[in-house]
Amino acid sequence: MKYSTMPERREGPGDPMPKPGPTEEGGGPRRPETGSPEKDNLLKRMKKVDPKQAERYRQRTGE
Amino acid sequence: MLNRIFGLETEYGLLVHQDRPEHSPTWFAHKLRDHIFNVQRRGVLDLHHRGHDEPPGNGGFLANAGRIYLDMGHVEYASPECNSLTDVVASDRAGDRMLQQAINDLGWADQVSLIKNNIDHETDATFGSHENFLVTRRFPFSRRGLAPLVTFLITRQIFTGSGRVGSANPQDAWVQMDRLIVPRAALGHGGGGAQVPFQISQRADHIMNDFFEWVQQNRAIVNTRDEPLADPEQYRRIHLLLGDSNMAEYATALKLGTTGLVLQLIEEGHAPRGLDIREPVETLQEISQDQERQWVVRLESGETISAIDLQERFLAAAQAHCAGQDEETDWVLAQWEAVLQDLRGDYAGLVGRVDWASKLWLLESYREAERVQWDDPMLKSLDLEYHNLNRDKSLYDGLVEEGRVPRLTTDKAIDLAADHAPKNTRAFGRGELVKHLLACGSPSELIEPKTDERLFPAYVINWSIFQVRGRMPFPMTDPFKTYVQEIRSHLAG
Repeated sequence: MKYSTMPERREGPGDPMPKPGPTEEGGGPRRPETGSPEKDNLLKRMKKVDPKQAERYRQRTGE
Repeated sequence: MLNRIFGLETEYGLLVHQDRPEHSPTWFAHKLRDHIFNVQRRGVLDLHHRGHDEPPGNGGFLANAGRIYLDMGHVEYASPECNSLTDVVASDRAGDRMLQQAINDLGWADQVSLIKNNIDHETDATFGSHENFLVTRRFPFSRRGLAPLVTFLITRQIFTGSGRVGSANPQDAWVQMDRLIVPRAALGHGGGGAQVPFQISQRADHIMNDFFEWVQQNRAIVNTRDEPLADPEQYRRIHLLLGDSNMAEYATALKLGTTGLVLQLIEEGHAPRGLDIREPVETLQEISQDQERQWVVRLESGETISAIDLQERFLAAAQAHCAGQDEETDWVLAQWEAVLQDLRGDYAGLVGRVDWASKLWLLESYREAERVQWDDPMLKSLDLEYHNLNRDKSLYDGLVEEGRVPRLTTDKAIDLAADHAPKNTRAFGRGELVKHLLACGSPSELIEPKTDERLFPAYVINWSIFQVRGRMPFPMTDPFKTYVQEIRSHLAG
């Protein structure tokens, strides 16, 4: 069976799933060096988190 | 991909950032829904009773043919029917974006966060990420026929899990052992012991059975409810509820893509056999909680084998029988192989692609910098923040901003997927219907019946059928058909 395609959803013709670039080959990010800007940015973001938010997050069981 | 229809249903947690909030999470959920349908006009609210817990106005279909509704107090988004991984990833992210935009529009971004996770660390509540796969009615839906799927599902968590700090309270948990349901605490090992610092799956602790039809209690590895939402003589819907909500687009695509391929192997009689796992539910939890990440599994045959090796058996079968059938299949096969290979090395190599690895790496970085132990309550809060839909706060989006996460869709495609249905499934026709109804008038005009038409609402929409007042019912029993021309004629006639 053949079905119509959705060209307006696809950024690159004929390549719906972007392939990982050379820097991502075989894995995710490099492990940042201690004190690197990227790790500093992530740590800054983590330090802004409200330490009590897990206590405040009172959810019901769903489904 | 694979001549397959995919869909995802996501229940979101709602975090109110106040010590003594004036309103409950459920109150905020109601307001969010009302804003999306009545102010933003992204869809039309149901006017009929869909079920005992879905009264009129509880939710509705969207212009993209998906649904937003309230379920057990949670905001839930169901994607439209998708025929490709590209579309299902974009449609899934579109739900996240619509909900966060509603929060922003309401000026609540500092007050409320939507959390795309599956657990509450404090109350042990759990809520789902449900996957739907359409298969033919010939699919061997028996204990024997499903055995390969069970083995695959138990072990796929090594690359689909979202990870969590700690474990669900073992005293409250029940688990299937040798066809009996027993308290997990009575086992004296595995999940019955002390809290683990970190495990790779959010849902594993909450799965009690291998096969069962309910979703709220006795959650099973394979849900057996027979509700195809399509022609029951042609189709069956495989409904899975053991998976975690994924933040990484790559993980979402790999989860659905590999599972779709395994279903194809089963349908075509090519699935590897003789790999039945002894004590499936206990193994599911043991893999998730294995701190050494050795993931050793005991089979019914008595053989022990690692989860990675088992996954490689399925990969080899899929490579042999499915390679070359389409681009997305080849993408899945290549990435499945790469992930399994990388799982044999340092988990940090998987950051950005596998959610549990991203989260563990972030938590370990924080622990190292702040010199805190695993029992520090801050780690649970960081765990939640990984799943925050607010890009300015989310730890997942922090990794994205650093360019460390491979994207499988684009912001433009996500915006399109919020407003438009996929054009190659039944969703296209339904999306046209919703847009037609939105153009007919305001919500109050749609709902208010004319004097001689009080016995039937202005419209009734379900996944596989709709009826507009004054017209005949319009069945849409084939999810592969768009029905779009027929629906335009039906509405114009």
